Amino acid sequence: MTQSLNIVKRTKAFFIEVRDLSFFAGKFFKEVFVRPFEFQELLKQCYHMGNRSLLLVGVTGFILGLVFTLQSRPTLMEFGAESWMPSMVGISIVREIGPVITALICAGRIGSGIGAELGSMRVTEQIDAMEVSGTNPFKYLVITRIMATTLMLPILIIFGDAIALLGSAIVENLKGAVSFQLYFNQVFDAIEFSDVIPATVKSFFFGFAIGLVGCYKGYNCKKGTAGVGEASNSAVVYTSMLLFVIDFIAVFLADIFFEI
Amino acid sequence: MVTIKKTASRKLKLGVFVVFGTLLLITALYSIGNRQNLFGSNIKVITKFKNVNGLELGNNVRYSGINIGTVSKIQMIDDAQIIVEMIVKQSVGRYIKKDAVATISSDGLVGNMIVNIVPKESKAPPVVSGDTIQSYRKIGADDMLTTLNVTNENAALLTADLLKITTKITNGKGALGLLINDSVMARDLRLTIHELRKTSTEASKTMKEFNKIIKSIHQNENVAGVLLSDSLSGQKMKTIIDNLERSSIGIDEVTKNLNSIIKDIKNEEGTLNYLINDRDLVKNIDSTLNNIKEGTDKFNQNMEALKHNFLFRRYFKKNKNKSEQ
Repeated sequence: MTQSLNIVKRTKAFFIEVRDLSFFAGKFFKEVFVRPFEFQELLKQCYHMGNRSLLLVGVTGFILGLVFTLQSRPTLMEFGAESWMPSMVGISIVREIGPVITALICAGRIGSGIGAELGSMRVTEQIDAMEVSGTNPFKYLVITRIMATTLMLPILIIFGDAIALLGSAIVENLKGAVSFQLYFNQVFDAIEFSDVIPATVKSFFFGFAIGLVGCYKGYNCKKGTAGVGEASNSAVVYTSMLLFVIDFIAVFLADIFFEI
Repeated sequence: MVTIKKTASRKLKLGVFVVFGTLLLITALYSIGNRQNLFGSNIKVITKFKNVNGLELGNNVRYSGINIGTVSKIQMIDDAQIIVEMIVKQSVGRYIKKDAVATISSDGLVGNMIVNIVPKESKAPPVVSGDTIQSYRKIGADDMLTTLNVTNENAALLTADLLKITTKITNGKGALGLLINDSVMARDLRLTIHELRKTSTEASKTMKEFNKIIKSIHQNENVAGVLLSDSLSGQKMKTIIDNLERSSIGIDEVTKNLNSIIKDIKNEEGTLNYLINDRDLVKNIDSTLNNIKEGTDKFNQNMEALKHNFLFRRYFKKNKNKSEQ
């Protein structure tokens, strides 16, 4: 009885969370087009979220391409299909692995960062102080961050994809004596607009989700230092889940519109 | 001041980051578009197939093994005709003649389907945008599988027959079964093979000897070699043989004539026949010849006597002097 009550309570809490998140997103869209625009803060956030994440995304992407090619090589060699490696790796990275892995890394780094930063501001009543001082904290803190993640994540994904393909090309060059020119020719032979466009479009949604959930969790942080940790942690968990849901919807829609 | 510098530096770094990221995306999109012939001038070439074998939009079009375009449209116009529209680079399009033939084939064993445009060595004019070229249907995987299925069925029948035959052989039925199962025959066969081996050894020796002879002929060590290798001797030999042939013909004619003469002599009553066949005449002739001989001797004696006679001595002496002068 207690368990079922617990489930009901949790389910109710989940739907309330979804409702609050939706309202939070609605407020974002309501405020985003209204002056004043915090452009300097947006640039600052873009720098922090874009440039500062590039190294992590680059290293991860490089290793991803390297490992992916090394692991796939023996299986393809069994079928005598090593020549298919560039097209296989290219399509996999551009369509799915590159965007999802980069988004998950950014969810860990940026989402948790936003959650913790805004959470600690809420806990230390800095947000309340901003409201009292006449500054709109939602515009200054939330909109700039969500905009920054939305704009920076596609660029990070592009860099991540390129570096992952470079890692794969290095392995192919060393192991299979495939020149870089031939490798990238085969990659671009295999990749089509129907691979790049849905991946790029969904990366905007990934960025939006990371910023939205991170800001929501931090902005609505409960009192106390424990609340900051919880906000940071739950921001990563919820964002990761949301990323996969968005990915599923994106693949589903891409299948309908592009017949992938 | 430091904060302003820091902010300016951050803005620059952010700008570089965004520009490079955007450039990467644009380059990728341009490369993809370029490969799909979206940029640059293209021409449209159309062909018709009965079966497109799984050809899809965006599949490559090849001309003489070079990727020159992509399939842009596949449309069924009736129950037996499918129109395939291809976008081809204009720079290559001018080499495609109006009588070129399009076929659908697979790029590798498990690769994508491609349209192959095969050129013809003719002086037909090049295609222009919107031209329709003829198509040719190659044997597809389905046809191959059908053939393979028939082959498989035949193989199954053959296997069944082979099984029957081997069963009979194992049971000693038929000539082959007897051959395999009969121990006496096997022994005879072994002996035969042994003899055959001996024969072949002897044959080998003979061949070696024969080879030696041939070799010696080639090396001009004997008459045959000289005749075979020296063209002058060969010519002489030919002349001799020609002469011999002519002589033999002459001898033959002479023999024929002699035969007819002998025949005549035997059959007719001529002097020679009489001389040959009459023995008394032969005797008479013989005695006559003896008498003549005796007479001649006596005449010689008389002539000698005349030389010494005083009446004729002077005459003979005069003749002798004349002959000495």
